[in-house]
Amino acid sequence: MRFSFTEDQRALAGAVREVLEKTCPPEAVRSGPRPGPGWRALAEVGLLGAHVPEQYGGLGLTPLDTVLAFEETGRCAVPGPLVETAVAAPLLVPAARLAEIAAGTLVVSVASPYLPDADLADLHVVGALVAPHGELDLTPHPSVDATRPLTAAPGDWTSPALDHAALATAAQLLGLGRRLQEEAVGYAGQRRQFGKVIGSFQAVKHQLADVAVALEFAAPLVYRAAYALAHDAPGAARDVSAAKLAASRAAHRAARTALQVHGAIGYTDELDLRLWLNRVWALRPAWGDDGLHRARLRAALLESPATARLP
Amino acid sequence: MDLTFTPRQRAFRAEVRAWLAEHVPADPLPSMDTAAGFARHREWERTLAGAGLAAVSWPREYGGRGADLIDWLIFEEEYWAAGAPGRVTQNGIFLLAPTLLAYGTEEQKRRHLPRMVRADDVWAQAWSEPEAGSDLAALRATAAPDGDGWRLNGQKTWSSRAVHADWCFGLFRSDPGSERHRGLTYFMLPLDSDGVTVRPIAQLDGEAGFAEIFFDDVFVPADGVLGGIGQGWKVAMATTSSERGLTLRSPGRFMATADRLLELARDSADQALRDAAVQAWSDSEAYRLHTFQAAARLAEGAELGAASSLMKVFWSELDLRMHELALDLLGPDAPLAGRWLDGFLFALAGPIYAGTNEIQRNIIAERVLGLPR
Repeated sequence: MRFSFTEDQRALAGAVREVLEKTCPPEAVRSGPRPGPGWRALAEVGLLGAHVPEQYGGLGLTPLDTVLAFEETGRCAVPGPLVETAVAAPLLVPAARLAEIAAGTLVVSVASPYLPDADLADLHVVGALVAPHGELDLTPHPSVDATRPLTAAPGDWTSPALDHAALATAAQLLGLGRRLQEEAVGYAGQRRQFGKVIGSFQAVKHQLADVAVALEFAAPLVYRAAYALAHDAPGAARDVSAAKLAASRAAHRAARTALQVHGAIGYTDELDLRLWLNRVWALRPAWGDDGLHRARLRAALLESPATARLP
Repeated sequence: MDLTFTPRQRAFRAEVRAWLAEHVPADPLPSMDTAAGFARHREWERTLAGAGLAAVSWPREYGGRGADLIDWLIFEEEYWAAGAPGRVTQNGIFLLAPTLLAYGTEEQKRRHLPRMVRADDVWAQAWSEPEAGSDLAALRATAAPDGDGWRLNGQKTWSSRAVHADWCFGLFRSDPGSERHRGLTYFMLPLDSDGVTVRPIAQLDGEAGFAEIFFDDVFVPADGVLGGIGQGWKVAMATTSSERGLTLRSPGRFMATADRLLELARDSADQALRDAAVQAWSDSEAYRLHTFQAAARLAEGAELGAASSLMKVFWSELDLRMHELALDLLGPDAPLAGRWLDGFLFALAGPIYAGTNEIQRNIIAERVLGLPR
């Protein structure tokens, strides 16, 4: 029993954080090209090919190896269909295309149920159907997040990549939640009213403490789900749903609180805050909304014989 | 990351499980807040100690098994899953002992720990005072030097089971000119000392689970001081950031409650309650995994620090939520719910004791997040 990450796993996350801080600042998310220079940087540090087998130019890593790195991609709301291309696509597209994923030259959008960033994707995947750009009948679908446009495609989106992509999305939500907490704490420590910084008021402190609690206890569920997937554990689907639900709830709480702490200025387009807020609200329903994951958890815990918590 | 247990750990789990299956009383013991229930719980502790299971994490020389943190967590999981009695010795074994092991003299350890583990001495806490609850540093009870010892005066309150306990430990102001956290000393003394009066206070359930303790010129010899004179605050707080942050409430207790809650929810037609029970189970799992994560951090040499406040808020509110849910699931049968109702009353205290959750949220905001005081 050792619930911790290896040096390599932490180093990959550190490298991702470093390159994204350089290539993916808020102004790049807001108005830069999609997927933008961050995409190339992620190919260079190996994240795009992390789940591509080594024989196709990837690193052949497991979800446990990359979960911290995906958390970092959430922190900066990286543009482009990253989870779809780097996590889902290696499980869905023909082997002949895998080398392009690792090289960062193939962008894949996968429906969950809507296709994110389909406009810039070379391949569109709906369920088991893989189609080149232009073949599917896509219709624009409204999204809260302008930096991640959605389109609707006909057909059943049920995907064999659901668990892996839901886990990576949960990791991104966790990273988004951490970023929003930092933004809110930073603002609360500087904004003054009644002659004091508002972060000294208990009404503000306790809301932020609740965010810290929610994030602190969502994280181990996300990491355990990564472990379960990496080891093909019998409870992996249950663990992924518990992780996605917890990350979704924690990120939402962080978003709501960050907005409340910022007050009216947070409710504007002038602040970058909205980039992270909108991304949280966009990712919560992606790769299984709370209802889907709740139903899976219910089925695993109440409607079937109990599965051991851990080996 | 390795979330499997070694063969040795699995063997330990099997040994504990088998012993508990044979020895846990079939019927719940009477409340430990009553004289008769207290005596029965003391007997149970002696049975546990006889098997070397009363304090598995202590060094062997004082009556433990020298188990590491993971073994202790395994023991706790099995203990609560087996429905074993609450620990009447917990103030001593889980709260005082880590401090005693860190700050006590060898003589103090040899004198107190073996008697504590056999429940020959059951310990009560003497922290809060009528005017010093959440604001513990406002405490006024005094200790004045007298010959080769000290004279204690003042009043302590909310001391659990002090009516039945044998010894108490707490903080007293030994420097009369001092304020707040300075000038306090950590004392240990027998509750049958001359000048000690213990007055029972009935709790929500009507039983005398609390007591006030009055100190009227009570003499305590010099070896009743734990740690340095005037160092009481440091001594009392030091172990909160190490293992004690973990050992206050282990995950096993909440996992057992969550598993029982799922059994109740399985038969319910109320989808909202079923979903809430599933959520609670997942939260109990989060707490367990978080504890393993914290154990790994401690093993790597890190300190828990103020993170123990995150844990306290989480488990206390989870415990209460689970019991509220159980009563909702039982509906009109709830007043007859026995164990669940007792558990609910106990869970209600969780957000109050060991630092109210309001204080814990202040600590999280100031020391984890870095917001100004």
